[in-house]
Amino acid sequence: MAAVLVAAAAAATEARNMKMSERRSITGALAAATCTLLGTSSPEPVQAQEEPGWDFNTALLYYGEDNDRVQDLSLNVLARRTFTDDRFLTLGLTFDTLTGATPNGALPQSVPQTFTQPSGRRTYTTAPGDFPIDDTFRDSRVALTAAWQQPLRRLSTINLGLSASAEFDYTHLGLNAKISRDFNNRNTTLSAGLAFAMDDLDPVGGTPIGLTPMRNADNDDDDDEGGNRGPTESKDILDFVFGVTQVISRNLLMQVNYSYSDSSGYLSDPYKILSAVDAVTGDVVPITQMPGIDGPSHLNYYELRPDSRRKHSLYTQAKYYMDGKVLDASYRYMTDDWEIDSHTLELRFRWPLSDSRYLEPHLRFYTQSAAEFYRPSLIDGDPLPEYASADYRLGDFDAITAGMKYGWKTGGGNDVSVRLELYKQSGNVSSSQLIGNQLNRDSYPDLNAIIFQFAYRFGM
Amino acid sequence: MATDRPERKISVESGDGFWRGQFLAMASPCEVLCETDAAEEARRLTELAAAEAWRIEDKFSRYQQGNIVDRINEAAGAAVEVDTETSQLIDFSVTLYELSAGRFDITSGVLRRAWRFDGSGNFPSAALIEKVMRDVGWDQVTWEAPVLQMRPGMQIDFGGIGKEYAVDRAAMLVRQASRASCLLNFGGDLVAIRPPRNQETWKVGVETVDASSSNAEKLLNLAVGALATSGDARRYLVNNGIRYSHILDPKTGWPVSDAPRSITVAADTCTQAGMLSTLAMLEGARAEAFLDAQQVRYWCNRGVTGPAAEAAKIA
Repeated sequence: MAAVLVAAAAAATEARNMKMSERRSITGALAAATCTLLGTSSPEPVQAQEEPGWDFNTALLYYGEDNDRVQDLSLNVLARRTFTDDRFLTLGLTFDTLTGATPNGALPQSVPQTFTQPSGRRTYTTAPGDFPIDDTFRDSRVALTAAWQQPLRRLSTINLGLSASAEFDYTHLGLNAKISRDFNNRNTTLSAGLAFAMDDLDPVGGTPIGLTPMRNADNDDDDDEGGNRGPTESKDILDFVFGVTQVISRNLLMQVNYSYSDSSGYLSDPYKILSAVDAVTGDVVPITQMPGIDGPSHLNYYELRPDSRRKHSLYTQAKYYMDGKVLDASYRYMTDDWEIDSHTLELRFRWPLSDSRYLEPHLRFYTQSAAEFYRPSLIDGDPLPEYASADYRLGDFDAITAGMKYGWKTGGGNDVSVRLELYKQSGNVSSSQLIGNQLNRDSYPDLNAIIFQFAYRFGM
Repeated sequence: MATDRPERKISVESGDGFWRGQFLAMASPCEVLCETDAAEEARRLTELAAAEAWRIEDKFSRYQQGNIVDRINEAAGAAVEVDTETSQLIDFSVTLYELSAGRFDITSGVLRRAWRFDGSGNFPSAALIEKVMRDVGWDQVTWEAPVLQMRPGMQIDFGGIGKEYAVDRAAMLVRQASRASCLLNFGGDLVAIRPPRNQETWKVGVETVDASSSNAEKLLNLAVGALATSGDARRYLVNNGIRYSHILDPKTGWPVSDAPRSITVAADTCTQAGMLSTLAMLEGARAEAFLDAQQVRYWCNRGVTGPAAEAAKIA
């Protein structure tokens, strides 16, 4: 009987709280009423736990650029093990095979151009009018991730993770941690995260020294690293992120994140070069090679970027829920001390077709300004600048992605989806940076790509 | 009146380490899993549970003539004096009516005159709903225990509580009658009396789809306590592409929008679990937020996974 009285007192308290808070708890009042109905004083407390289990997300992704540029086939497996008391272990494995390459940075010309391969062993030749690309490039990459998530007291969650990847010329090792806490009847979540990565580069044929001329090929399969080729390089990346997620109304959820990223070390791309051009015609400068020597037909320099980069980004996302449909809109602003500013607007709309099928159109718009040291070419005879890169990814460009995803549930309750997206990137090189004949030729390698993904999700 | 009631019989068969007693009650398959060496004991406990389920069905089913519910509903405005058990069920319903700010209402059954949930797109007219709504509302009932009086045309219905009450009552009787480990399952509303000796817990499957898991069915380990499920993925109405659940809001007369397909709640008793899952369904899009505030374990099924399920967590 005492327990009933205690429960009744709790019920009275609950009733008072009800008026004070929209999100009321009726647990105590319900327990008291149930005791009275069933004539029991104190039932044994329920003990129900989820059976620990595995959950698998698998995806096969194809990314293909036009004009024999990059083709990437990637297999992703994400396995999540659920433990009791809301603890999770997530393990990820990604395997990529990459063929083709991005344009090397040299300008297209009205004559054929010959370049030394990064390995330094052979040369390749680009036809007149084409953006120079080393299409003999091949690589494969293996990446692993592991993360542990668990509650930390009642309203907080901690995530700890590590990541590692290896490819022929690049290794990555990263650690990350994130803490989030719910406030305000779980209407507000604050989170803070920290990530640190150590990456090593060991380019084929050694790391080139920035702003030195492209070397000759030695036609030798020995991996000697002479001349202007340096040893293995590395970079460190430190990231902080602070976020607020807020329930605005029963239909609207908003998130705002600020993140800061600090990279230091070797930040150049060892495979990117710049054409040296005549100050008046803007044409590339030919080199006369000695007989029997295989090497570049024109003067090119390896690129050089600053050895540090600080980025600030502000990200905001809204999810609007209406009768089973979901509109997900996000915007990101990024600015860095290389003077690149970028804006990304992304929209997704989840449109259920039936109980088990949905369509999801996707649109993404991206625009960025060029890095301060971006330039289409170097002028032969002028003093070399402190930093220079003709990498089109550091230029001024706009990109649009448009795609559609179709998902359904199988009879066995597993999820399948297919996604098809088209990507179009077009750049703009300021005419003040172009000289003579360059004004009549393509100066920015526009890009079209197709993305296809098949995903399958199942549990065990 | 000839009701084509299913034949009342029980069967007991040997399961995997336990006995399985089965019978039909309240339009649901019911079972009693008994971990005992003696088949006679399993039969005795199944008979005990079945007798209690049938007693409650006979007494409170709105489909049977002459019982207390029928007498109340056919009173045509006259006052009806009720017995103690009925009085307790009515008191409990009144508490739930107050706790849910009118969303749980035993007078709302008459809305069935307007709504048919057969998966079709047949919508009642606003005029019909308005007419039926005049007969809905506990605030129109005069209840001074043990006497109940309501206007002609109004009805009460314990359908929202009967099965959970029955399984809790049957579990109490079985617990008192035997020391065996038993699990009672009345059409998905279940009570574990004691953990099984051979394994630590009873394994129970629940339908769930959430943002974190793809499993259509999750396996739960229930040692002791109750699980109740509200909602039914097969009962709904589609009109203009919008799917309406069969959960009707007695305050509006309309189905609740954005409710999960089903909700399973774990609680000490099946009555508590059933009330929490029912009230959560009535919260619609806020179902998960409501359950979070109750500090109970629950599993929601919202159909397709991904952002939709995630966004559903928006309160």
